[in-house]
This record gives sequence, structure tokens and C-alpha cells, in this order.
Amino acid sequence: MLVEDCMTREVLTVTPETTAGEALRMSRERRIRHFPVLENGRLVGIISDRDLRDAAPPAGDPERAAALEKLKVKDVMRREVTTAHPLDPIEHAARDMNERRIGCLPVVSGGKLVGIITSSDVMRALMRLVGAHEPGSRLELELIDRPGALAGVAEIIRDLNVNIVSVLSAPGKSPGKKTMVLRLAMINPTPVVQELESAGYRILWPPQQEEE
Amino acid sequence: MSGAAAIVHSPELEAYGFGDEHPFNPRRLRLTLRLCEELGLFEGYSFVKPEPATVEDLQTVHSLNYIRRVQEAGKMQTDFETLVHYGLGTPDNPVFPDMHAACAYVVGGTLRACEMVMSGEATHAMCISGGLHHALRSRASGFCVYNDAGVAIARLRQEYPGLRVAYVDTDAHHGDGVQWMFYSDPEVLTVSMHETGRYLFPGTGETGELGRNAGRGYSLNVPLEPFTDDESWIECFEALVPEALRAFRPDIIVSQNGVDGHRLDPLTHLSATTRLYEHIPHRMHELAHELCGGRWVALGGGGYDHWRVVPRAWTFVWAAVSHQEVPERVPEDWIRDHQPESPVALPSFMRDDPEDHPPIERAKEISEKNRRAVEEVLEKALPLMS
Repeated sequence: MLVEDCMTREVLTVTPETTAGEALRMSRERRIRHFPVLENGRLVGIISDRDLRDAAPPAGDPERAAALEKLKVKDVMRREVTTAHPLDPIEHAARDMNERRIGCLPVVSGGKLVGIITSSDVMRALMRLVGAHEPGSRLELELIDRPGALAGVAEIIRDLNVNIVSVLSAPGKSPGKKTMVLRLAMINPTPVVQELESAGYRILWPPQQEEE
Repeated sequence: MSGAAAIVHSPELEAYGFGDEHPFNPRRLRLTLRLCEELGLFEGYSFVKPEPATVEDLQTVHSLNYIRRVQEAGKMQTDFETLVHYGLGTPDNPVFPDMHAACAYVVGGTLRACEMVMSGEATHAMCISGGLHHALRSRASGFCVYNDAGVAIARLRQEYPGLRVAYVDTDAHHGDGVQWMFYSDPEVLTVSMHETGRYLFPGTGETGELGRNAGRGYSLNVPLEPFTDDESWIECFEALVPEALRAFRPDIIVSQNGVDGHRLDPLTHLSATTRLYEHIPHRMHELAHELCGGRWVALGGGGYDHWRVVPRAWTFVWAAVSHQEVPERVPEDWIRDHQPESPVALPSFMRDDPEDHPPIERAKEISEKNRRAVEEVLEKALPLMS
């Protein structure tokens, strides 16, 4: 999944001359925390509602309203902006946001601002990757880390006419192994579990039935 | 507290099933009905025969295209590629001869139970064949071809405009089909308590699924941790269901009584016993009297330990519907008649002995996690429901 698949394309922007008061109003009305700052179509900075608020006297101070109208975006914006490219994978964007502790990345292509991606967009994309959008049952198994290991599993599942809804993998608990989590479009995964077990696979979920 | 009870059943309803080796098969019904009979719980009652649902009934929640495919599939003339698109012909939902007729009968059973309760012919009615809560608009799913509760609720809403229906689903699997059918409808409250979708089919049923648009606040979901026991499940049920129903003020309650959260169930990972399955219908009965003049329709649902769990657990449903006491012992005749075909030893007592079900591991953390789910639902949904 790429940044362009989950970014917001209609970006509200401000200019260096926008007042803090106006930017905060936009932030409130449109419920947006971050604004890229554009000057002649070029990205020159980024600003958050929090940067603006912190730069003005605290709420309740009689001076606050006047200060917000005098304060300009250019006075408080951050000029070093980390950006993303539309073709960056989302995990790349997630890493940048996490490492630099920032909540959003303007997306720039060919020198132009084409979108913005926030940490909520990334979370939503991850939820889409791991989430349940079609009914399915969880099957977790341990595979030997070698070519064709997954193909063997997939073949058994195909032979039973079962659709695979999603696939995730993670490094296994012991070296040379990996853990696969499949969601299968079936309420009763027993037939698949039985076939896989008799083919020698180790099933981690569903748990083995207790012997009665 | 009492009211006339009815049971809707006929041999046609036993045609719905996917074969002897399949977990969903009519042995579940036959063993249950025999047990109720041997216990004398049917004395003075006769089965009310349903009519099959019409295509028009089914179209309230299913697409005509899908209904046509089910009709053709039952004549064994559809190719696999087409079937699979509609969720049919899979290991879960294999095609069987005349499947449309069998499935339409089940829906008819639930429709009949609802009609009886609405017309006052009965105060409570049970149709234990019903409760096929996974069926989707154009797809069979999780052993369910047509969504009987969905059709019945939609029909009730057409016939009695403004009628407020509460649907309470305590199957181990999320009641997804019914939830999605009424997801935007503020006059149908769906409540589902089930094993968390992280570990169990269908995967949905998170606390955040609250309904859409005007229906927001009218879909409630409590995902329970794997291995949840009676104690925690009952605690969650008591914390959520009475309060939610009182806030909603239903005119009729439809309950889905899947009993697959039992510790012995082969398809799920919960750890309930008969204590839970005696408690739930008993409380649904009390709540129906408290809130809607007793109007209550009890349906079946999942339950895949056919021999030891389902017959006893569903007997408790009928006992609550018909205000009868359940004796202590399983009748010897029932055991004698069925033991030869059963692969497991049949139980001698109607209620599980707590001694046989030692406390689960991590019970404290599991209850805590479940409790948090209920608190979250109450906090988010109740303010929306007014």
C-alpha cells in the first residue's frame, strides 16, 4: 500500500502571511491540526494548531486575541519540512513519522504539494491491512523459512475450495521459522487444519481440542 | 410472571442441514426435541407448523439475484465459479438438493413465531431452527443461507410501522449478518456478545461498530476474550443487556440462542457451561416482561457439541419460554436411546457440575479485559440512544 492510496488529496494550506488567528479558526472549523505553508505554490514550511497556540499568550489572557491577529504563520512555522512521495510505501511514511515524532507529512511530487498524510491515515491503512473486511477465521501456523513453504499451504487450502481473505507473516519464535497468520473465508476451519496437520504443518491457532 | 408459550416446529425444518458429517446438521434439533419430550416439557403443547417464507419475504433483506442462485443451486445445475461468488459450494455451505425450500422453511418458522407473539396468540414463542445470523444480503456465510431473523425483523417493521425491535445475540460468533442489515436503523437495536473476532469467525463485532448515520448507537458489540468463563460472561451480560434494553425501550425482543460458547464446543474457544445457558434465557424472559409485555421470540443458532451440550442448553431455552422447571437428571430413556450412536459419553445431569470445569487460567485478566469492553460500549453507545 502506497502513500498515494491513503493520503488526503484536498489539502488546506496557509501562506506565510496568514495570521495565527485565522489559521486557528480554519483549524477549528475544518478540524485540521496541520497546515502546509505555501508561497507562490512552493512548500516553504509547516505549522500545527499547537505551534500557533503556544506562541500566543494563554487562553484567558486579555492580550491573547490581539496577539493572535498580529502573529503571522511565518513567525512560528517550521521551515525544515519532512515530506513524503506519493509512491512511498506507507511503512516508510510510518517510520519517518515515528522516528521524527511528527504527526503528518506533506506529500510532494515534481516540486508540487499533491496531498498530506497523517498518522491517522497510516493507522487506518494498517487497520485495512490487518482488519476483517470479509467474514473469516484465523489460522496461525509455523512454517520453515524456505522457498515454496507458503505455496504448499496455499495448495492445500485451494484443494478444499476455500478462499484466503488475508495473509500476514512475522518472524518465527525460533530461527529458520516464520509465523503465518491467514484469515480463511470459513466458519469451520477444521477441514483445513486436519489436512495441514496430516501434511506435517504445525498449527498455532486454533488451539488443539482437549482430549476428553 | 407468565404468558402463553408456543413452539414452532415441523419435520420440514429438519431438512436444513449439510450432511451427517457436517457440524450444522438437524441432529441438533432432533436430540433437543426428544430431550424436552422425555422431560415432559412438551406436555400440553403441540408444535405450530410454519409455512415457508415467500420470495417476497426473503427479498426484504436478500437480493433477488442471490435467491435465484440458491434456487438453482438446489437443483444442482450451477457451476462452481458462480456458486462460490455467493458463498455456496464451500466446505462451510455445501449445496444440497432443494436447499431453497429447506432454507425458506426455516425463515418461515421464525416469521411464524414473530407473528404469534405480535398477534397475541402467544406471549413467547420459540423456533429453535432459527438464528441463522451470518447470512448476508447476497451471500451465504457461516452455515447460514437465508437470514431468518433479518427477514422476520424487516417484515415486522413493515407490518407495524414504528415497532421497536431489540435483537440480542449470545452465539459465540458475532451476529454480523443481522447487524449489517439494520446498521442504519435506529428502531432496531442489535446487541451481540461473542468471542473476539481476532480469534474467531467472522472477525467483526468490535466495540467500535456502533451503527451508521441515524442508526449510530443502535448496534452494540462486546467481544469476549478466548476462554471466557460463566462468571465473566454473566457479569458482562448483566452489565450491558438490561441497561441497553431499558434505554432502548423495545416493543418486542428477538433473542438468538447460539450455545457454541460452551467449553466443549469444537469450533470456538470460550469456556462457558450450562450455567450461562440457563441464565441467559431466564433473564431474557424477565426483561421481556419488564419492558415489552412479555413479547419475546427465542431462536436457536450455533452449537456444535451435538450430544452433550446442545440438547441440554436448548432445553433451558424452552423451559424459560414456557415457564417450566428443568429437572436435575437427564432421563434415562434419552441416554439409553442415544448413547449407542454417540461418540462421547452422554451426561447424566442437566446442569454441568462445576467440579468438572476447573477455573480457567488468567481468569482475572480475562474478566478485566471483558469488563473494559462493556464499559467502553456503554460509554459510547448509551448517550447516542436517546
